[in-house]
Amino acid sequence: MRALDVAFGLYALVCLSALTWPGYAWLGNRVAPRVLGLPLSLAWNVGWIAATFVVLVVYHRLRTGRDGR
Amino acid sequence: MSAASWIVVGVAVAYLAACLVLGTWSSRGGEATTVGYVAGDRSLGLLLLYFITGATIFSAFAFLGLPGWAYSRGAAAFYILGYGALGFVPFYFLGPRAARVGKARGYVTQAQMLARRFASPPLAAVMALVSAVAFVPYLALQMKGAGMVLSTMSGGAVPEALGAALVYGVVTLYVLKSGVLGVGWTNTFQGIFMIALAWGLGLYLPTLRHGGVGAMFDHLAEARPELLTAPGLTSGGEPWHWGEYSSAIVVSIIGFSAWPHLFMKAFTAKSVDTIRRTVVLYPTFQVFLLPLFLIGFAGVGFEPPPEAPDRILPHLLMELDLSPWLVGLFCAGALAASMSSGDAMVHAVASITVRDGWVTALSRRLTPERELAAIRALVVVYMLAAYAVAVVYEGSLVFLLLTAYGAVVQFMPLLVAALYWPRATGPGALAGLLGGAALTTLFVAWPDLRPWPLHAGLYGVALDVLLLVVVSRLTTPTPGAEAFVAEAAGRDAPSAPAASAR
Repeated sequence: MRALDVAFGLYALVCLSALTWPGYAWLGNRVAPRVLGLPLSLAWNVGWIAATFVVLVVYHRLRTGRDGR
Repeated sequence: MSAASWIVVGVAVAYLAACLVLGTWSSRGGEATTVGYVAGDRSLGLLLLYFITGATIFSAFAFLGLPGWAYSRGAAAFYILGYGALGFVPFYFLGPRAARVGKARGYVTQAQMLARRFASPPLAAVMALVSAVAFVPYLALQMKGAGMVLSTMSGGAVPEALGAALVYGVVTLYVLKSGVLGVGWTNTFQGIFMIALAWGLGLYLPTLRHGGVGAMFDHLAEARPELLTAPGLTSGGEPWHWGEYSSAIVVSIIGFSAWPHLFMKAFTAKSVDTIRRTVVLYPTFQVFLLPLFLIGFAGVGFEPPPEAPDRILPHLLMELDLSPWLVGLFCAGALAASMSSGDAMVHAVASITVRDGWVTALSRRLTPERELAAIRALVVVYMLAAYAVAVVYEGSLVFLLLTAYGAVVQFMPLLVAALYWPRATGPGALAGLLGGAALTTLFVAWPDLRPWPLHAGLYGVALDVLLLVVVSRLTTPTPGAEAFVAEAAGRDAPSAPAASAR
């Protein structure tokens, strides 16, 4: 139980720093490479939204699978 | 009025009529009690809850303001995507806890829950006041948006004040009749409509102007590269600051779930699992925002420029000489965006005023019929107040809104403490809320006083937490707080605590 919540908390911290300074500024904040026509700076944000959705689905499944019944 | 204007206005009016029919049909008897009217008999399933939370957020701001930001401030607007990823996550943890105590103890608003937990009726009064002050300018902005769209798209044939009155007349009718279910079903309809329309326009306009999305960004990378990298520009066209950009995201994540009309949905959900799944699905709604950025970027360099950045989308549609049917559909979509935020807000603030201001803070007893009548009367009062502000007030609504938002963010530490920390006390909560709200208001009014270029709300939250912890430690514990927190966590509940998790 603890391990799962800690893992989720760590993901949230990584995600937050990737979307703000410094993570975004260093890694995602440039025009090239282009992703499906979008500049990386925009696609980066969309990508983290998609990743968060996947992580939330997995976290929710594991959590309710264990103590949901 | 030209034939094209008639078509545009006709499509918009047909859309309003469809919303009215759907909104009034959808109550099906659920409006007779306060719990039914305010909280939908705690019966809302995943589909309705998903679209209520989604469509509430995609307001007139999303449809008009966001393209305007992308158009004038470039990547500064990306912060909205940045907080969207994690924005609703706190509710995954707070929502189910609030739902458990709400169900066991009959709460329908967050202030009611906090006032009982902290044994502090004045807290409910302060929260009711802050909510009212926050919602009236917000609602007025939505009305202005609706009026502006109808007026621009009809070529001035429908004045702004009349347009706003028409649209919000419809909203008032279905909110009065159907309460939260009317809000839910119309938001579902409007949400689907807005997604389709935004994607349509978001792909069509870049193609029309530049030959495609990729070609548009090729052009921008050449001509205006400063628009494509964060933190973008200020409204004055200067480079924005990373501290402002990042702290705006952090404050939005903290404050987002604390908005009364969103937090209250904890009390409308059918089950704890419905709440959690709404949060899990919420990032998918963010995908709707992407085309709105594309629309804003498509407007860059367009001649003649719009009067104000907010008008870029209607301006493009008018100037590009498109089919009046398409323009009419856009018009309806923008009204959908305005209505689907406005309806939930007015419903929430009227419920809050009666429940928290009158019943909880002043300890007045009301019969269920009287309470419901009072909520309905206040829906009309708030609509009229916001309409008066929208039509009459000349000053900056955005300033009022920022001030109010700064205060709403301060609810969050109290909500967390109420549901997780038994030692938190009423005086601590009150001190935190008042101190945090005061500091935020100060820094919103005089940004130069801030020690670092960070969002004003962040300073407020820090002071809020500090005061909450220190004052709570210095005052005597609230009786019953241990039992409250245990009940919220689903421990020691009288019967089958996990049964609601299905």
